[in-house]
Amino acid sequence: MTSETTIEKSHFWKRLFERVPVSLVVVISLLLLLILTGTMLSDRFPTLKNFLNVFQQAASLGIVSLGQTIVVLTGGIDLSVGPMISLASNLTSGLIDGQPQRVLPVVIGVIALGAAIGCINGLLTYYLRVHPMIITLGMASILQGFTLLYSLSPAGKVTPEFQILAYGRVFGLSLAGLGMVGLFIVAAIFLRLTRTGNAIYAVGGDPRGAHLLGISVVRTLAIAYSLSGALAALTGIYLVSRMGSGDPWRGEGFELASITPVVVGGTILAGGRGGVLGTLLGVYLISLLNNLLNFLDVSTFYQWIVQGLIIITAVAINVEKGKRT
Amino acid sequence: MSVQEGQSTETTGETRTLGSRLRQYGLLIFLLVNIIVISFLSPAFLKPENLLNIMTQAAPLGMVVLGQAFCLLVRGLDLSVASVMATAAVLATSFASTDNAMIPVIFAAAMALGVVVGLVNGFLVAKRGVSPFLATLATTIVLQGIRFLYTEGSSGSTLPDGFSTIGQGRFLGLPVNLLILIGLALVLGYVLHFTRFGRKIFLVGGNPRAAMLVGIRTDAMIISCYVISAVVAAVAGLCLVGYVGQVDQWTGKGYELDSIVAAVMGGIAISGGRGNVLGALLGVFILIVMFNAVILLGLPVQVQMILKGIIVIAASALYVTDASRRMA
Repeated sequence: MTSETTIEKSHFWKRLFERVPVSLVVVISLLLLLILTGTMLSDRFPTLKNFLNVFQQAASLGIVSLGQTIVVLTGGIDLSVGPMISLASNLTSGLIDGQPQRVLPVVIGVIALGAAIGCINGLLTYYLRVHPMIITLGMASILQGFTLLYSLSPAGKVTPEFQILAYGRVFGLSLAGLGMVGLFIVAAIFLRLTRTGNAIYAVGGDPRGAHLLGISVVRTLAIAYSLSGALAALTGIYLVSRMGSGDPWRGEGFELASITPVVVGGTILAGGRGGVLGTLLGVYLISLLNNLLNFLDVSTFYQWIVQGLIIITAVAINVEKGKRT
Repeated sequence: MSVQEGQSTETTGETRTLGSRLRQYGLLIFLLVNIIVISFLSPAFLKPENLLNIMTQAAPLGMVVLGQAFCLLVRGLDLSVASVMATAAVLATSFASTDNAMIPVIFAAAMALGVVVGLVNGFLVAKRGVSPFLATLATTIVLQGIRFLYTEGSSGSTLPDGFSTIGQGRFLGLPVNLLILIGLALVLGYVLHFTRFGRKIFLVGGNPRAAMLVGIRTDAMIISCYVISAVVAAVAGLCLVGYVGQVDQWTGKGYELDSIVAAVMGGIAISGGRGNVLGALLGVFILIVMFNAVILLGLPVQVQMILKGIIVIAASALYVTDASRRMA
């Protein structure tokens, strides 16, 4: 009787262990290791105030990485998110221009624009059969061009109330941070429980098979890229709220920065495997790391080196043998 | 039947189908049409001085594209080229010498740097199975960190005078920059199209499994391609420094993407195993001619970006073959 339960128990642990992907174990261990090292190295790091700060600061990277994750799950990549953020940020502050009654229509309009541009990315990827990296690279160039045609310098300003988005707090927790986590939860439910969400995994795993199963590949791609575009636009809007104005170069570097948490979180670039939970942990890992390095008065230069090494470590552990992009 | 023909083109690069020949000439025709239209719109364009300027400007990018082509041919890509360029430039100033005799030493040091970076990239991609995108992205970031750490944010600017000759000088009426590009193109073109080594690269890119089965050490081929790319990028970085006349932490910024754009426009398949050196160079010149045209026609500079985006999407759509359709 007892032996049976121990067997069952060991089975249970074994099965639980098998169900948790290695990548999640890796990213959680890295997070714990980081918090442990941080606690030993700096007094100011392990405070509630600091963690709440990081919780807020992670919002921009989190939102854009969420969209990137969805696209990467389809086996694609979205390199146009950087210029999309720049366009959204400058357009938002330029169009609102300090007038409160314009806030809502502009915000909705900009998010819709992001979704529309993303949709174009998805449709082009499907119909032209060109690698999504090239499509979104081209789109990035086009968007940056239009952003700079609109204005070469930060345009307009936003209303003070608009800044609630970035600085507002609910029960002491940052509104933006909560919103970001909320988006991740919605995305997790969407990916696990809806048909379209499952289709995203299927298309990433095996597009031909997905097609044979009756999944519309083009619809799936269009939705995935639209979500990425809309979330990038939202990131731009959030950054306007945080900084108080737009900037035609606000999103520079985000296209690559947004990929780091995704791969660190165990979503493989070949598509079909991974998920948003890993990305969320990856976002906190990167944000905490940068935060700690700031406390240690280490120059940004070391932060780059460490970030590069983290990518290499994480990726080399979750080897993607046989499936290369 | 046609499938078999297509495959033989991809794998050996020897027998060309009519289609691929048309594509090749199509590119040249496209460039010529461009030049004719632009010269009608702006007579300044065809002046020898302007043309030579265009070429001097295009030369460093052309070199990077040559290296990038090797990586693309083995189904990879190299995002670290820009970072290698800037690091090579910073390395050049670290000698703090104005003696022209140091130039060969500087070039050797930069190329050694290229070898190291290429080996790391190649090792990660070939031996560890890391996707080329991530492997080269990681080395980009690490190099960037090391570079800034070394210079503490502001780089020196002491360079031998000879660098301006390399970047802007003329030899027999031709820009020295361009001559270096031509030299590199001849060497790399020969290696790629006329040696066993080159054949193997096409085979590894076209059909890695078959390459392995016939006894080619695919890992070694892939690693050598990344080494070539990084070494050429280091040389290009020094040439660009000579052209610009000063060292900057971001020398070559944007070249990683521009080189991919130019290579894809020039018919190098991003899915590997297809393309040639001549096409890659044509891609560079089309890109630079378009940029020049935007300026000459008095359009805002931003139009260059929009144009570049449209061209790269359109060009790669034209090159899509049945092989890559199967993949997608």
